[in-house]
Amino acid sequence: MSDGGILGTRTAPVRGRLTAAVALAATLLGASACDAGSPDPAKPTQSKYQEGRLRVLASSELADMEPVLKAAKAATGVGVELTWSGTLDAAEQVASGKADGKYDAIWLSSNDYLRLRPEAAGKLSSETPVMSSPVALGVRADALARLGWKPEEVTWSAVHEAVAAGKLTYGMTDPVRSNSGFSALVSVASGLSGAQAALTDADVKTAQPKLKSFFAGQKLTSGSSGWLATAYAQRGDVDALVNYESVLLSMNRDAKAGLTVIRPRDGVVTAHYPLTLLTSAPAGARESGRALTDYLSGAEAQKAITEKTFRRPVTAGVQPAAGLNADKRRELPFPGTRSVADGLLASYENELRRPSRTVYVLDTSGSMEEQDRIGRLRSALTELTGTGDSGTGQRFRDREEVTLLPFGDKVKEVLTHVVEPGNPGPALDAIRGDVKSLRPEGGTAVYGSLKAAYEHLGQGNADAFTSIVLMTDGQSGDRAKDFDSFYAGLPDARKHTPVFAVLFGDSDRKELTHITELTGGRLFDATDGNGSLDGAFEEIRGYQ
Amino acid sequence: MRRILGIALAVLLLGGVIAVALAGGEETPPTATKTVKGVIGSEKSEYFRDPDVVKALADKGYTVKTETSGSWAMDQLALKEFDFAFPSSSEPAPEIEAAAGVKGAQTTKPFFSPLVVIARANAAKVLADNNLVKVEPGRKWGTLLMGPYLKAAAEDRNWQDLSGSAAHAELNGRLFIKTTDPATSNSGALFLAATSNVANDKTVVSDQAGIDRTAPLMQKLIRVQGALEPSTDDPFRAFISGSGEPLILAYESQVASLLQQKPETGAADNMVVLYPDTTVNSPHTFVPISENAKELGSLLANDPKLRQLAVRHGFRPQNGVPEFTAATASHAAYLNPELTGIRQVSAPTVKILMALAARAKG
Repeated sequence: MSDGGILGTRTAPVRGRLTAAVALAATLLGASACDAGSPDPAKPTQSKYQEGRLRVLASSELADMEPVLKAAKAATGVGVELTWSGTLDAAEQVASGKADGKYDAIWLSSNDYLRLRPEAAGKLSSETPVMSSPVALGVRADALARLGWKPEEVTWSAVHEAVAAGKLTYGMTDPVRSNSGFSALVSVASGLSGAQAALTDADVKTAQPKLKSFFAGQKLTSGSSGWLATAYAQRGDVDALVNYESVLLSMNRDAKAGLTVIRPRDGVVTAHYPLTLLTSAPAGARESGRALTDYLSGAEAQKAITEKTFRRPVTAGVQPAAGLNADKRRELPFPGTRSVADGLLASYENELRRPSRTVYVLDTSGSMEEQDRIGRLRSALTELTGTGDSGTGQRFRDREEVTLLPFGDKVKEVLTHVVEPGNPGPALDAIRGDVKSLRPEGGTAVYGSLKAAYEHLGQGNADAFTSIVLMTDGQSGDRAKDFDSFYAGLPDARKHTPVFAVLFGDSDRKELTHITELTGGRLFDATDGNGSLDGAFEEIRGYQ
Repeated sequence: MRRILGIALAVLLLGGVIAVALAGGEETPPTATKTVKGVIGSEKSEYFRDPDVVKALADKGYTVKTETSGSWAMDQLALKEFDFAFPSSSEPAPEIEAAAGVKGAQTTKPFFSPLVVIARANAAKVLADNNLVKVEPGRKWGTLLMGPYLKAAAEDRNWQDLSGSAAHAELNGRLFIKTTDPATSNSGALFLAATSNVANDKTVVSDQAGIDRTAPLMQKLIRVQGALEPSTDDPFRAFISGSGEPLILAYESQVASLLQQKPETGAADNMVVLYPDTTVNSPHTFVPISENAKELGSLLANDPKLRQLAVRHGFRPQNGVPEFTAATASHAAYLNPELTGIRQVSAPTVKILMALAARAKG
């Protein structure tokens, strides 16, 4: 694949911090689904409603539904245009009314979070669960042997003990941006708090110390389950993955991941993927939605779904695919109030997860003056500092070490700030100040600057999620080879820092692809318009 | 005061919950003379979309188009757009009539379906062994003993406190029945109506004192569940798929429909149908709004073909015990056609019930 790990095209320029996370639009029918590695991502598809073409805001793991949706189109004449979204972002879009007229339906792993927003109630109609998959733990054979686990007996407490004892590491998606991560967070919090019923604020508080030691074992984070699987394979030193059972089993089939899928004995959170029409959708779209729902609930589609995606069928008489264990599990209740759900997310973001150390390697060469690129860079970075009352995921996290490394012919400065818990203002102000003072001048020494970023991260706290964001608008003036040999010489632990590169202006796709592939990062495309740099920076937050 | 405002707001917001179900899809009846549009409770959606129902209605000169809404939110819709409303119980009907400006309209009650609690076989066994339910040997239906069950809920009983549960990993955590959202959905609201009656010394809750008295227990039934479903569809499908809670509130019609229409699937093999010993049986109530739909209600209630089709979808037509019993004869082990041993109580007023729902959730 010539363009490597490039992400799909973002939807029409989105400016709000939350909407910006709706990053990937895929036309599932006719073009390829656009998770990691799609060769030719669909162009922006934000469109007016067309008869027989349903615009759907969806969870990204539904990319694997492409064959089923193709068959649905053949059978019903209804096509589907999917735009990926995380839980919080989708809830915000629907509740705020931004989804009105833009989408006809939503198809998320669950509407539970969305229903906690009272404003959303009048906007949803005919929710029909289409299939189900619990959040599970996939463990590598060597780790399983080392731990001496019997898969059917493992509990979340046992998982916690193994992690706390340093015997188990794992990867999980960012709960703020990804549905699977959010479900995992609820599962773990329920399991470790010993809550017998729906989580309360008190339960979350009780579980805090255990949760903190549990998340110390999280070595991989990601804004999407697709990239998590890829990164997991590339790393090779992470023992387990927390993800949907369907995703884990698909990895075993498609990538011979050899994971033993464990549904902890003390309970799971199950996604039911309700296909939900929006009341704002035109009548024709609602009829199309009906037809599609009827088709997907039918025995033929249900059989195809379980065989192709390893999700469980919800229609009587259809057998789950081979490999789906029939043993029952307790269903852990999803929080019933927004304060509990949001409190849990905020706690994860600012207290429980390992902190982030983030370096922004920023091209401030002379060419950044063209088309006000420097202005767009300043505004995209400023957005990441949020405002005084920014919600979870809307600003640099508490405890995060943020470094700006502007370069021209060489590194101009290394500006580091740490966001202090309880008092984030000063660091965020300082970052905004530094951003303001970025000046376009000089050449483009990409590789030397990257080296400096790795060197910077090599000093300081090693127990953090480290990542480098590379933004350049041109071709590098220095040599790739030097960087390659530098990178090859790094100790393994430091090699784990991925570079997330942003295509912008006239940057060299081949060059950036090479860097992301070498370092296990990912390429983001910000070449299509005004809001796209904001969107890319925002999306990358899920990977930091 | 704030609470009342909250309720009003919730109802208002939910008023917009509507779904479209175009009855009959592409089939255009040859002799259709009258197209009528109605808003119905979602559990009747499949009935109105059944091609045989579409045909039977067409034979009588009707094309019926339906949208679905929570029965307890219909009075907030722009009802002038509809020819009829068809909520899932009689309680919301007066509010709907008032909102549509047709107070005193000639309503009809074509059929009803009692609330049941569907249990997995092992869960039913554990509950029976702990004297919370009664199941006669050889039967797949039984009775949920509301007194003992509510006592267990009041005491925060967990599954693991019940003897015999240890053998089943999934029987863990607080003992509760998965309901729908009582503020919007009929089944959840009627469940509160029945349980509050038991908790209120077997009398209908009719005043603030009654609300205050029963609210703590209602909270234990509702809040422990966390996120609440908008309709019985999701929990029922989850149950069928093998995930989800071991005890779910549903309509008998969902089970009866499954048994009649998909007997070969064995989906009910692992299921025991529990009839609460105290219940509110409230008929689906047809409220004509325009002249066009005036006769439709009695057609649904009296036309033999339409009655037969209602039974196929698991509903019990008025005075239809013989029809229902005959149609479900081969699945008699699962059903209690005579509703033997069940105490039927009245629901509180809509206002009281909604106040109770808000307290239970809050």
